[in-house]
Amino acid sequence: MTKSNRTSVQAFPEGQEYDTYVKRRQRKAKTWHGLFFTATLIGILALAALLLDVINDAFGYVAIQSKVSESTLVGNYFKQQMLDARRTLTSEDDQTLVDNVATRGTAVGFFGYAYYASNTDKLAVVAIDGVKPDAATVADGSYPLARPLYVYTTEEILQAKPQVAAFVGYTLDHVNQAIGDIGYFPVSEADLAAARQQWQAAASNPDEAATFSGEILSVGSSTVTPIIERMAQDFQANMPTTSVIAESIGTDAGIRAFCLDGRGDLLSASRALTQVEEAACSKEGRDLIQLVIANDGIPVVVNPENTFATNLTLDQLKQAFTTAETWADLDPAWPDRPILHFIPGADSGTLDFFSAEVFGTRLEGQSATDLAAMLKIALSAGRVRALESAAPLNEQPVAALIALARSEIIKPTGAGSWSLFESLTRRAEIAAEVAAMPDTELQFRSWINKNFLVNAQSSDPYKAGINIAIMGSLWVTIIAFLMAVPLGIAAAIYLEEYSNGKSRLDQIIETNINNLAGVPSIIYGMLGLAVFVRFMSIVTSGQLFGYGDPATTNGRTILSAGLTLGLLILPLVIINAREAIRAVPRGLREASYGLGATRWQTVWNHVLPSSMSGILTGIILAVSRAFGETAPLIVVGVSTFIVVRPDGPFSKFTTLTAQIYQWTSRPQEEFQHLAAAAILVLLVLLITLNSAAIYLRTRYAKNKQ
Amino acid sequence: MTVSHSDTYAIEAKDLNVYYGGFRAVRDINLAIEPRKITALIGPSGCGKSTVLRAFNRMNDLIPVARTEGSVTFHGKNIYDADVDAVEVRRRIGMVFQKPNPFPKSIYENIAWGAKINGYRGRMDDLVEESLRGAALWDEVKDKLKESGYSLSGGQQQRLCIARTIAVKPDIILMDEPCSALDPIATLRIEELMKELVQEYTIIIVTHNMQQAARVADYTAFFTVSPDRTGYLEEYGETSRMFTSPTSRVTEDYITGRFG
Repeated sequence: MTKSNRTSVQAFPEGQEYDTYVKRRQRKAKTWHGLFFTATLIGILALAALLLDVINDAFGYVAIQSKVSESTLVGNYFKQQMLDARRTLTSEDDQTLVDNVATRGTAVGFFGYAYYASNTDKLAVVAIDGVKPDAATVADGSYPLARPLYVYTTEEILQAKPQVAAFVGYTLDHVNQAIGDIGYFPVSEADLAAARQQWQAAASNPDEAATFSGEILSVGSSTVTPIIERMAQDFQANMPTTSVIAESIGTDAGIRAFCLDGRGDLLSASRALTQVEEAACSKEGRDLIQLVIANDGIPVVVNPENTFATNLTLDQLKQAFTTAETWADLDPAWPDRPILHFIPGADSGTLDFFSAEVFGTRLEGQSATDLAAMLKIALSAGRVRALESAAPLNEQPVAALIALARSEIIKPTGAGSWSLFESLTRRAEIAAEVAAMPDTELQFRSWINKNFLVNAQSSDPYKAGINIAIMGSLWVTIIAFLMAVPLGIAAAIYLEEYSNGKSRLDQIIETNINNLAGVPSIIYGMLGLAVFVRFMSIVTSGQLFGYGDPATTNGRTILSAGLTLGLLILPLVIINAREAIRAVPRGLREASYGLGATRWQTVWNHVLPSSMSGILTGIILAVSRAFGETAPLIVVGVSTFIVVRPDGPFSKFTTLTAQIYQWTSRPQEEFQHLAAAAILVLLVLLITLNSAAIYLRTRYAKNKQ
Repeated sequence: MTVSHSDTYAIEAKDLNVYYGGFRAVRDINLAIEPRKITALIGPSGCGKSTVLRAFNRMNDLIPVARTEGSVTFHGKNIYDADVDAVEVRRRIGMVFQKPNPFPKSIYENIAWGAKINGYRGRMDDLVEESLRGAALWDEVKDKLKESGYSLSGGQQQRLCIARTIAVKPDIILMDEPCSALDPIATLRIEELMKELVQEYTIIIVTHNMQQAARVADYTAFFTVSPDRTGYLEEYGETSRMFTSPTSRVTEDYITGRFG
């Protein structure tokens, strides 16, 4: 059999021609391979992009703005308590306080240490929990009322006014030598060096040897004033052409003057400015530089005649300045004489600091009486009456009162939200933006959280949850399941095992089922509306069974929606079950019939068990279809806003998908985050269902062999 | 081919025609099966021998397009009469299929199920053992009755199917190429089994294997098909005679391997 006598062989390409053909064929195969791969890749990327988009919206920073911050609420309350205490005199000028305490035997007061230091003969200092203020206890922080003192200025001032720069430089260089004389405590060399470096950078390496002239105005804390005055004195000795003026108006007033009115070259402060205050100053063009120049330990002082109150516990201290009227109220052993209070005024940083340190700045740890009082001050009488309907406020548990204070007074609300991508890439900008908002806190929020899962729908996106929507989805799906599964399997068995496909009726059924599976779901919604909601409303509203008020009930219930979805998935269940039944080997049926089994015995004992995995898979896929359906439910009449948990088939309802649809159509950004979170929950539930389907399929497939 | 009609036959087909839709698969079959004998149905592919076999226990009813004409007389009654229950016919006339098809159940359940659905009230263990012994399988499976029927080899599975069939006490066992999926040793064991079973049962077997027919069958029916005529019975008689001196030319050609 040589080639020459077989003509058909010669019709195939040979040699060079064959090689070209093979190469072309391989190229073609590669192209197709590439195309298929690209298609797969595009599909996967599209899905990944979808998922990323949802995740992007479901997590991210939020700005939570309080109507009033917790520290302001607590601080203001106790400040007011102190100011309102009986026999209280306030003054922004610490010297006035010194003079009063020095002359009245039952007086108590507090102010900057310097004023005590220069009047030790006229005043007696009280230990707090056994600790008195001195250099050691202030430095190691064991004295509870120790605090740094600050001077603030700006880069522009330092550069525009060389005399100010020179004065600040002089102060940083010499303050520690004079601090003992002034009556305060030194800051560490390291802190001072850091402050000096900051000054140098801001003032662009000033020439300290040069001479300057001009005015230097310092505004702010009366506590810091003695330091400024002493430094001015020394400075002016060298630079007589300059004049330093120190206005002692209190820290809060100083901030207003310096930032809002643009008065003064230096701002002295007996406390550090808050982020919000600094941001407010920045807004007015004053980018503050903070320089720590001394430490203070606020002394609590009494008249030297007072020999009994040498030590106060923190609790006694609290009472001494608020509720206690006589010394005997603090300790029965002490004389029953009225306490006279001499304290710095409302604008004073010292009062702020004292209140914060002694009474704290948090709601936790406060007594029920104080919390109840805070609520009564902040809320209207009517609201208080409403809250007291169960029990008087001061008899309610502390935890409940704190929760009330948060929800009624602090009222945290969302002031801004960012996506995950923004949160990761624009972190600093967002932080700055939020820092400028008063009483606002930046939090990283997972929009999926415990509250989201257990809360009801709410118009406040920070409180809104999907609990009722999930319950609704479950109810509706269960009813759809109960309707579609028995009917679907029965129909599949009839069509596969009983019908011979010859009768006209069987053929009509056959065609209908295949077409029904392709009908758009909204059509089922309209069918459901017409049949279940309207026509059968007496049944679906539950009226027939004595549920609801006949005047107001209608058929827009879980039952109607469930039956509609049941109809929707019925063809899917039938088609999948038929496939599964058809896949049962004919041999199995023949074996059964060959033994004299009836059709029913064959179906029940062999066909159904063997096709169960396929039927189950079909059911689960149909159920997840029902779970994820929206359009027909909207037609059937899902509630847009419902806060009552559904308690049966005749309840009004909403579903997860309807909830998502409703949220996505809202303009506020926060609801988009909520929708994304709900979508993630929906995805997780659906993936769980589908995984169950896959698991069942593989498990049954194994059993069969 | 002169076959007289008599009540002594186990089963008898008269003027049997089977149609699949418009197609006539077998025509005018007249065939009387001797009781307690093995009758082999042989013939080329498509000649209708399996169709005839399945007509004997109304298995063709399960095919929606199939239609049967003529009569099949069993115990003096036409099994195609309207008052005859096909289910009852199949319980009396059991069937073993080409491919072993045990149920996806344990060996024990495979045997017991047929008895159960037919209302058996005796001791099930005894019936299972008796049936498995009858199918010469007992010694091989007595220690693993709880295992799946699928755990057995192909030959064992086929004997399990035979045991399952005899468990419901049929009169006739139909075998549709029972050895075509088996190796020669397993085939031999089935053939030996058939020779034992024929003491009690009437066996009709469809086979493609001429030697098998020659080895086991007491009677042989030769079916054939031709372009102008669909499946029909060409010759029927005692096997020894048919394989030595066939009356028909077509039979001779087929038996000697000249066609088919």
